[in-house]
Amino acid sequence: MSERVTVTELNTRVKELFGSTPGLKDIWVIGEISNFKLYTSGHSYFTIKDAGSEIRAVMFKSARSRIDFEPGDSQKIEAYGHLDMYVERGSYQFIVESMKRSGIGDLYLKYEALKKKLEAEGLFESARKRPIPQYPKTIGVVTSPTGAVIHDILTTTKRLFPADILLAPAQVQGEGAAKSIVAGIELLNREGVDVIIVGRGGGSLEDLWAFNEEPVVRAIAASKVPVISSVGHETDFTLADFVADKRAPTPTAAAQFAVRDKSEILRQFSDLTVRMNKALSSVIEHMRGRFVAVDGKLSPARAQEKVEYLGMKLDDLSSRASSAVKDTVSEMHKRFLSVESRPEPALKAMVANKRNQSDRVFGRIEPGMKAILTTKDYKEQTLAARLDALSPYKVLDRGYSFVAGPDGQAVTSVKGLAVGSRITVRMRDGRALADIVEKEELQ
Amino acid sequence: MSDTETGKIDVEKLSFEQSMSMLEELVKKLEGGNLDLDESLKVYENAVALREHCRKILDESDRKVQAIMETASGTKKEDFSELE
Repeated sequence: MSERVTVTELNTRVKELFGSTPGLKDIWVIGEISNFKLYTSGHSYFTIKDAGSEIRAVMFKSARSRIDFEPGDSQKIEAYGHLDMYVERGSYQFIVESMKRSGIGDLYLKYEALKKKLEAEGLFESARKRPIPQYPKTIGVVTSPTGAVIHDILTTTKRLFPADILLAPAQVQGEGAAKSIVAGIELLNREGVDVIIVGRGGGSLEDLWAFNEEPVVRAIAASKVPVISSVGHETDFTLADFVADKRAPTPTAAAQFAVRDKSEILRQFSDLTVRMNKALSSVIEHMRGRFVAVDGKLSPARAQEKVEYLGMKLDDLSSRASSAVKDTVSEMHKRFLSVESRPEPALKAMVANKRNQSDRVFGRIEPGMKAILTTKDYKEQTLAARLDALSPYKVLDRGYSFVAGPDGQAVTSVKGLAVGSRITVRMRDGRALADIVEKEELQ
Repeated sequence: MSDTETGKIDVEKLSFEQSMSMLEELVKKLEGGNLDLDESLKVYENAVALREHCRKILDESDRKVQAIMETASGTKKEDFSELE
C-alpha cells in the first residue's frame, strides 16, 4: 500500500533531495535577468531566463556584497548558487550566492564601434547643434507614458513659460524600443512641434541600450526640430546624448532647457521697462539741454518756430508717454513756460517775438498753468493730464484748424476778413498760407 | 530706417519669441541715443506694445497636454494626464 504523506512532508522531502543531488548545487546558471525587484529587506527577487525556459531566483542581502554591479532587467548574467525548495509555497527557486555579468564586453564593443563610425561621419560635431528655442509653443516628448521623464517634465513645466506638451508614447527598453522611439521622433516632426525631448529614466546599460542604437541616433540627427536628450542618470552617456542638440542630465533640466522660467521672464520685463524709461528720459533730458541752449543767433522767426515745435512735442509726449516718464515731461513743460521769465536777453527777445507774432498758443497755456500751480492740491494732480486738456494742439489733433490773420492774431469771425487777404491755417503738423477767395456769413 | 523705428508694429501677429527679440532690439536702439525725440517716442510706444503683448501671452495662455498616437485611420490626439 502506498505511503500517505502530508504536503509539508512531501515538500520537505523535495527540499532534501535538492540539497543532496549533485548538479543542483554548486552550479553556474547562464541566462538573462527579468522582473528584477529589490525589496526594502535588501533581498532581490527576479527571474533568470533564456530562449527556452525560465527560473525564479532570489539573491539575499548577504550575497549582494559579493557582486560588483547593479543587477537589472535584460542583463546577461552567470549566477552561482544552488536550487532550493520554498516549502511553504511548494515552489523552487535558484538561490544566487554570487553573480557576474556576461556579454557586457560585446555591448561595449558595439557601442565603441558605432560611436567611432558616427563620429567619423561628423554626426556629433558641435557645429551641427542647433539652438533650442526659448519660447516654444509646443514641446514634443518621446518617452514612456508612465516613466520618470514625462512626470518630471509635466511637473517642471507648470512653473515655466506656458507651452503645450505633446507626448508620443514610446517603448523605451527591450525588443522594438528603438523602432518605437524613431517612430515618435518622426511623428513629432510631422506634427511640427518646436522642440523635442527624448529620453527615459535611469537603468542598466541594457535598459538604456535603445538610445545607443543606430536608427535612434540617425533619427535624432535627421530631426528638423531641435532635440534635447535626457537618458538615464547624469553619469550615463548614450550615443543619443552625443548627437542631440542638447544633452540634459535630468528630465527636469531638459524641461528647463526647453522653456524659460515665468518669473525670470517677468523680471526681464521690468528690467527692460526700467531701461526704456531711462533711455527715453535721457532723450528728453538731452532735448531740454538743446532747448535751453536756443540762442540769439537764430533768427527770431526760426527761434519761435522751434519753441513752438518743441512745445508741440511736449504736448504730444505728455499725452503719449507712460506715467513713468510723465513727471519728466511735466517738468519740461514747466521749464518751457518759465522761458519767458528767464533773464537771458536772447530768450526774452524770442518770447517777446513769439508774443507779438504768434497765435498766442502758449500764452493761452500760461494762465491755465498758473492756476494749476496756485492750486493747493496741484501736486496730487497730474500736471501732464491738465496740460493735455489745455493744449490747443489736442484740438488740432482731432482735425480742427486754427486760422490767423495777416497780423498774426486769431481769426474767429469772417467779419474781419476781406476777400483777397492772406491768412495762415495752422494744422496739427504744420501751417499753410491761404488767400481768401470768397466769404459768406452764416445766419 | 526699419519699420520698427518709423511705423507702428502690429503686435498681434507676432509670436512671443519674435516680440521678445524685437523688444530687446528696440530698447537697445532707444539706449543708443541716436534717435530724435519723435523717433524715440515711436520706438518707445512700440516697445510698450510689444511688452504688453508678451505679458498677455504669458498671462492668458493655457497649456494643453496631449498624447499623440498613430492608428490605422491616421494620427489621433487625446488629452494626457499621468496615472496616479
